[in-house]
Amino acid sequence: MLDSKTKSVLLERIRTVVGSDHVTVNETDTILNAHDANPLSEAKIRAGESLPLADLIVFPASTEEVSKVLKLANELRVPVVPVGGGAGTCGGTLPVYGGIQLDLKRMDKVILIDNQSMLVQVQAGVVGIDLEEEVNRQGYTTGHTPTSLRASNVGGFIATRSGGSMSSLYGKIEDLTLGLEVVLADGSVIRCKAVPRHSVGPDLKQLFIGSEGTLCVITEATLRLFPLPKERRFRSMSFPDVHSGLEAIRLIFREGVLPSVVRLYDPEDTALHVSSHFDVEEGSCMLMLAFDGRAEKVAVEESIAAEICLKNGAKDYGEGPSRYWWEHRYDMYYPTKFATSGYSVGDTIDIVATYDKLENVYHEMKKAMEAHDAVVMSHFSHMYPNGGSIYMIFFVSKEDASSAWSAYKGIWDDGVAACLRMGGTMSHQHGVGTTRSTYTEAEWGSGFQVLRQIKEVLDPNGIMNPGKLGMGGRS
Amino acid sequence: MDQAKTAEQLRLCAACPKMCRHMCPTFLAWRSDSPTPHSRSLLVYQEMNGTRNLDERAIEVLYQCLECSQCLVWCLPQVDVAAIVEDTRTRLVEQQRYPQGLDKISSMIATNHNPFGELHSKRSKWFTPAKNVGKKIVYFSGCTAAYRENGIAQSTASLLTKLGYGVSIMNDEWCCGSPLFRTGFRNQGLEEARHNADVLNKQDAQEIVVTCPGCYRALSRDYPENGVQLARPVIHISQLLERHLDELKTADFGGLVTFHDPCHLGRHCGIYDPPRRVLNKISGGKVVEMQRNRENAMCCGNGAGMRMLFEEQARVIGKARVQQARNVGAAYLVTSCPFCKNMLASQDAEGLTVLDLPEIVMASYHLHPKVKM
Repeated sequence: MLDSKTKSVLLERIRTVVGSDHVTVNETDTILNAHDANPLSEAKIRAGESLPLADLIVFPASTEEVSKVLKLANELRVPVVPVGGGAGTCGGTLPVYGGIQLDLKRMDKVILIDNQSMLVQVQAGVVGIDLEEEVNRQGYTTGHTPTSLRASNVGGFIATRSGGSMSSLYGKIEDLTLGLEVVLADGSVIRCKAVPRHSVGPDLKQLFIGSEGTLCVITEATLRLFPLPKERRFRSMSFPDVHSGLEAIRLIFREGVLPSVVRLYDPEDTALHVSSHFDVEEGSCMLMLAFDGRAEKVAVEESIAAEICLKNGAKDYGEGPSRYWWEHRYDMYYPTKFATSGYSVGDTIDIVATYDKLENVYHEMKKAMEAHDAVVMSHFSHMYPNGGSIYMIFFVSKEDASSAWSAYKGIWDDGVAACLRMGGTMSHQHGVGTTRSTYTEAEWGSGFQVLRQIKEVLDPNGIMNPGKLGMGGRS
Repeated sequence: MDQAKTAEQLRLCAACPKMCRHMCPTFLAWRSDSPTPHSRSLLVYQEMNGTRNLDERAIEVLYQCLECSQCLVWCLPQVDVAAIVEDTRTRLVEQQRYPQGLDKISSMIATNHNPFGELHSKRSKWFTPAKNVGKKIVYFSGCTAAYRENGIAQSTASLLTKLGYGVSIMNDEWCCGSPLFRTGFRNQGLEEARHNADVLNKQDAQEIVVTCPGCYRALSRDYPENGVQLARPVIHISQLLERHLDELKTADFGGLVTFHDPCHLGRHCGIYDPPRRVLNKISGGKVVEMQRNRENAMCCGNGAGMRMLFEEQARVIGKARVQQARNVGAAYLVTSCPFCKNMLASQDAEGLTVLDLPEIVMASYHLHPKVKM
């Protein structure tokens, strides 16, 4: 927390930048702005515990205002935590060391839709669903539809290297971002030109994508657009085990078929999320597929995928489970009575690995996490030609808060350790935040020193989102 | 709502990653996480479990709510934030901890029985009795039509007469109590309610018709829920007009008509189709829907004390709603609520004619001089 003199000086000067109505030091506002969708934060709030609070919340309206605020913060050595929609699940916007929460929600303009190049230029504070609906009206989709779409925004997508439910076809946000505008700790504005590809040295924007506010504040982006698919077809196949389902997925991609949705539910996840609506055999694994595009293309892709699945021991469930998932895909984001009762906490470790390692990562993580008396269920989603992601979902409930938080940490520690030991990477799309911060160095290995040195050059005073991404702890 | 149910709802909402926030009009107006459904629940949850008392800012946040219930439409666990907010406001008023800006509305209703501070003796000045021997009906005009939107009141009386009703108004109509119920002054609202019930129950009429959805909700829901019984059925003008579809005229309005669903009429009372059927008939099918319609219709920004306490933000919401009508190419933005009409018409509505339902129906007869054609 800031001393009162620094806080007072900072407040006065920031008022001259954004106006008195767009900065607050009120404790109630800082409490309401403190948390994102991190399950541990939410569980602590339910248990009546307090979270770290910012000293000030600032709501800039333009890149110029962001730049001026950062210059002031840098001069006074005040931490700055950028806040987008506040929908991240890893505590990335928690103001661990107080300071300024720089909330970008007022920067909410869709600036330009370029029909010729199929691009949209957009400010960082636009909420995902607002952007998607706006481009839908013009006949496009961003192809980026994470479950958090109603609550997350463009800046948050890019800051966390987010992935949507159809990333197998359309790509993740790092694939979708062609141009980027960011502001560095010293207030300088960096613009990375929107071009489809280039050969002019390293791709600077990729350094900023996923930097989680530790290197810059993202203020604007130019994103790719796709024509709304003329048709979206669904198909579901039940496999006797994870192995045969994964093998079918691998072969589907090997045939050059790119489904928009690929989700293989393990026996536990199938039992919980599929068997209540469809008659599935105990221990089976449901694969949900979707195909986007022109009718002829979709028909061919679906036919090839179905043939591969059947050859690998699948039972055909038609469109049912897959379509049902699609129509209820946001439902799982809502809290339930069961998951919020007592000292309960659940979370997801969304890892990623290549096909040669994926199954081993799954089994080892599951074993490590279940050792803490956690309920663990998983699905393989966001699949690609070379591998994919696993959602390792866990839930634990204890008699008191400290036992619950301790179990939660143990599951994370041992789950991530198992993932890294088996050659996986600890996050596919959720990011690092506070949850994974202490594992970052182990994940990056020798490369972490490069990241740390970049951080020291771009943010020598360590004001940018300290305590995240394994960097910038303050004394 | 009982305490256990409230506690469960608060716990669910306080744990939610804000799945309704993008639809909340006050989030649109402030672009901050404070005036949002989740934050309102979190504040009450923290107070309930002893984590933190409601301070002055928390109380302000609880009054930065339109009680429009848009959030409920997007809530899978069906957490009724508007009801929680209203119950909390009622408690705050009992504890004398409400925003002082509300004293004005409370004292004006206590003195003049309307929230505008107008003389009670002038309440019925708009009304000219007409001789008619048809079915007797009493028109409860409500404060806004009586004092600010006389065109609605006059159109309604003319229309009812034209349809063959013997129209009367109350001998001594008081505010329905809606602004008081919604802002937490429940007991004061019930004083108004009891007076209205006493008078209405003695009135010689078969039905009570209202044009204001706030009045409709108060008379048909709040009154009976609080033990105040009306002896005759209450009907909204849109429902009454729907009965007479065959008698309504079709006219060429020279442009598309769109309908703004008032929150009290739509989400709170479930009346969506009657006004649309009426508009469809009188316009010859020239009705276009805004993208946000029916249960997803955006509030006009005028509800639950918002315009009185936070006028600038209320107008941001009203202006956005007017723009939504423009986006679909409408020439007429029609609502069925004097309060909504007053807000929407006072925004930058250039190129749009904002009318209430009885006004546009009368326009189809080319009888009412106030309507610009």
